[in-house]
Amino acid sequence: MKCLDWKEKISGYIDGEISPVEVREVEVHLEACESCRALERRMRAVGGGVARIEATVSPYFRDKLFARLEAEELLPRRRSLFAFSLRWAAVPLAAAAAVGLFMLVSPEKGKDAIFQQGGLPRVAQQAPVATAAAGLSTEEREIVAYIDVLEDSAALDDQGDADTIEIFGTAGGRRG
Amino acid sequence: MRTDEELFELYRGGSRDAFEILFSRYHRKVIHFAYRMTGEQARAEEAAQETFLRVARAAGTWQPTARFSTWLYTIARRTTLNYIRDEKDEGEKLSILQGDEDRDGQSAPQLPGPKSLNPEEMAWSAEVRERFADALQRLPETYRSAFVLNRGEGLSYEEVAAVLGVTVQAVKSRIFRAREMLLESLAEILP
Repeated sequence: MKCLDWKEKISGYIDGEISPVEVREVEVHLEACESCRALERRMRAVGGGVARIEATVSPYFRDKLFARLEAEELLPRRRSLFAFSLRWAAVPLAAAAAVGLFMLVSPEKGKDAIFQQGGLPRVAQQAPVATAAAGLSTEEREIVAYIDVLEDSAALDDQGDADTIEIFGTAGGRRG
Repeated sequence: MRTDEELFELYRGGSRDAFEILFSRYHRKVIHFAYRMTGEQARAEEAAQETFLRVARAAGTWQPTARFSTWLYTIARRTTLNYIRDEKDEGEKLSILQGDEDRDGQSAPQLPGPKSLNPEEMAWSAEVRERFADALQRLPETYRSAFVLNRGEGLSYEEVAAVLGVTVQAVKSRIFRAREMLLESLAEILP
């Protein structure tokens, strides 16, 4: 077999695309043939050189592509963090606003109710957590009750309950 | 880690995250492939953009039994071909088609001697890079595709055959021919 005939096998050998038997044949030949060893070196250099030809990836490539994909409605749009935060903040914000409104509208009403009664308000007493939190101090139970009321918007429907909430929210500041 | 195929299925189901992961896995490869095929940065980027757009547009036609990477490269190659053809239609010529002369008609820059271009220690200067890119562009497209997919992108002969829609034997032959032509055109800078 002439060296010329080895060329294609050497090409396949470099690419790892010949059988184990052929690999052995090629290696035996390469050991014995200086010119084919030189050919193999050059062939490897050519392949390696092509692999090193790389484009520059623009930092705007992604944004440009994703904008085009979104424009064609080929990609679901990502919700903005602001919109996401606003959505989840809406309930507590609304509750806080309601409490603040009651404070402004009736600042004196039921102010000392909680301390006169010496216990938790009705809404808080009815809340399951009030029972579970029996081991808590009065102040801690007040806090727990306040949280429950905020989470339960229905509890705000009753005027008396709302007055009680006001007391919880401002008791510390007004007592002195 | 999810496979490409699983991710593409998720994308087809409406997952943006899945597409983002696939994009991060492949966008560099596609851009480099397009660059090796066109020899021009701007065209390569455009072709790569168009490739991903086509992938997204054709998502409904993808068969889950097919390898995603093979399908992607098939689209990338066809898209890139359009850019090469568009270029020819416009009557432009790539610098590489101008033989050994640069755009000003002057002789090509003097290249380092063979000893400095040992494959393992090759000094990868801008001139050598351009010379390689030029030589690659002079190959017939069928040879270039096969060689770039195999040597540049790391696809096996079988995968290249699937992308090009030819037999493994044809791929073997094309890659060999590409090597011979590159050896000839790069003879003076190879070890």
